[in-house]
Amino acid sequence: MSPIPLRRLPGFLSVLIRSGALALVAGAAVAVVAGSGSLAARASTPAQIPVTSYRSASCGCCKGWVQHMRANGFAVRDVVVADLPAIKQRLGVPTRLSSCHTAEVEGFALEGHVPAADVKRLLHSRPAVAGIAVPGMPLGSPGMESAYGKEPFTVLAFTRTGAISSFSRHPQ
Amino acid sequence: MTTPMRRRQVLGLGFAALGTAMAAPALWRRLPRFDALAEPTGAATLASHGGVADLELVAQSSAGTLPGGPREVLTYNGRSPGPLLEVKAGDEVRLRLRNRLDQPTNLHFHGLHIPPTGTGDNVFLTVPPGGTTDYAFRLAKDHPAGLFYVHPHQHGLSADQVFGGLGGALVVRGDLDRIPEVAAARESVLVLKDYASTSGEEAAMGVGRMLGREGPLLTVNGTINPELPVASGGLLRLRLLNASNARIYRLALEGHPLVLIATDGRAIGTPEPLEELLLAPGERADVLVQGNQSPGTYRLLTLPYRRSGHMGIADADQVPQTLATLRYAGTVAPLPLPTTLIPVPVLPEPERTRRFVLGHAMEMGGMGGMKYAMGGMGGGGTGMGGMGMGFQINGQAFEPDRIDTRVRLGSTEDWLLVNDDVMDHPFHLHVNPFQVISRAGRPESQRRWKDTVLVRAGEEVRIRVAFRDFPGRTVYHCHNLDHEDLGLMGVLQIDGQAS
Repeated sequence: MSPIPLRRLPGFLSVLIRSGALALVAGAAVAVVAGSGSLAARASTPAQIPVTSYRSASCGCCKGWVQHMRANGFAVRDVVVADLPAIKQRLGVPTRLSSCHTAEVEGFALEGHVPAADVKRLLHSRPAVAGIAVPGMPLGSPGMESAYGKEPFTVLAFTRTGAISSFSRHPQ
Repeated sequence: MTTPMRRRQVLGLGFAALGTAMAAPALWRRLPRFDALAEPTGAATLASHGGVADLELVAQSSAGTLPGGPREVLTYNGRSPGPLLEVKAGDEVRLRLRNRLDQPTNLHFHGLHIPPTGTGDNVFLTVPPGGTTDYAFRLAKDHPAGLFYVHPHQHGLSADQVFGGLGGALVVRGDLDRIPEVAAARESVLVLKDYASTSGEEAAMGVGRMLGREGPLLTVNGTINPELPVASGGLLRLRLLNASNARIYRLALEGHPLVLIATDGRAIGTPEPLEELLLAPGERADVLVQGNQSPGTYRLLTLPYRRSGHMGIADADQVPQTLATLRYAGTVAPLPLPTTLIPVPVLPEPERTRRFVLGHAMEMGGMGGMKYAMGGMGGGGTGMGGMGMGFQINGQAFEPDRIDTRVRLGSTEDWLLVNDDVMDHPFHLHVNPFQVISRAGRPESQRRWKDTVLVRAGEEVRIRVAFRDFPGRTVYHCHNLDHEDLGLMGVLQIDGQAS
């Protein structure tokens, strides 16, 4: 589990509190707040932010992304669905940004092998977008680690109206 | 047989080429800046004479000339696609490959029924940078007449080299060409190939190596939207080769059915009119077009097709795109279609059935293929002991030193190809053609010879193959060449004695 950078603490804490509430509502078996610790202590043992991930049964790489998210402090519900395109449509993922799996976190859509660090930045900065995407399946992205190589990729933000902008580049 | 030549200064645009161009001042003046550095372009067609084909292909990097296309294109004899190679059944073929690339390469004679060993269709040969290899084999007198495909098959680099521009058509003349209606048709070989844009930014939109790289520039014989002349009343024989790395073409010609007469370099029994023709990488098809519509122009289109679910779909791929334009010119007495072609025999009942499951997954154990795949790829370790993410057949990534399937020369087998993936996989077997028996449990309507079959995501295809004439080691693989380079290939050993 990677520690949360301290400089992002205040904003992230508000996210923690909101997500903690969500987790409790959802009845997730998650220790949201560890005892009576100070704010700093709570940040060092972050609550697990709930993520719902949708994938098809046969895909060989979606599980790798789920593991990456879990290892980075997210509580991922891994859901196998028959009609993935319907979910992408509901969440407003533009067709040309499609990847193999789609997820939801706090009202944002996550499409494909988005790095957990980008998801944290998204939840911290909360831009006016529908979600962020890594189209396709770039080699070397989270869940796609490979000895065959590493492809550079761009995380793209998209809005409900289909506007697309660059969110981050890997490598930077 | 791989004899290194004197080592050249291998640069993207070689100094040797500069010298040649400067020796021809007229040429030098006429050409734009980039072309001035390129080798002069070789002949468009290289043909055999008197039963012998003495051919030479020089693989090199040349300046790209496609508007909006890559600055550098990999070429044979300065051409992408390479020159058309034209030989006859029964010919002695000697093909010298000179490698002026900065990386190893080799050749695969896709679809030819020739030995997989020695100087034949031996994909285990490697020609180092600066090296030269002579391929030499004899085509049988009864070798099917058809359209075949010559392209690099250097594992780990195949996709880079084919997507970069290497590959060309090989025509074998023979039986099918002697059918009078076919002989009367005007023939046009169409090599379908897509190229990256100058920036190559499409890869950042997800069409990378896992999906298989596609470029936005669609070309026919290296040209964007060429004209195909046809006379009113005339017959046009389009000989289509998908020489793209990963793109699948869903072809349709406005106002005209495509009358199929051959698949993968081998005639079918009777002509079959089609409204659409799906052509995966490595596949070929011969179709006849009758010039029996109102004179005018008609577009040869590729229609939207999803080969990887919703992934990697560019906006341009969601509408029909024009590949070429049929243009009526002149009039001739109406030419008829043939009624029968060449019977496709029923293969013997299979001695056994094997199952091949195709997919992508994390490979956790073993070092399969690592040392080969790493070559030229600059890959980093995964820290997990295996290849990490890649493609597999029956859970294993390609390993050249491991025999995956051992068959007996003279035997017939059914292979059940199971695509357990979210992407399409065109499956190609070297040396021996096969027949598709069923798709998703439904029997095929017509018997056809194939050497590459599209197995769509989630689909099962049963093929029947007779291993004939040539013992030795060869391969089967996905012809989305990025998938092949990322592990989707197996080694086949054919045991027996050549008769």
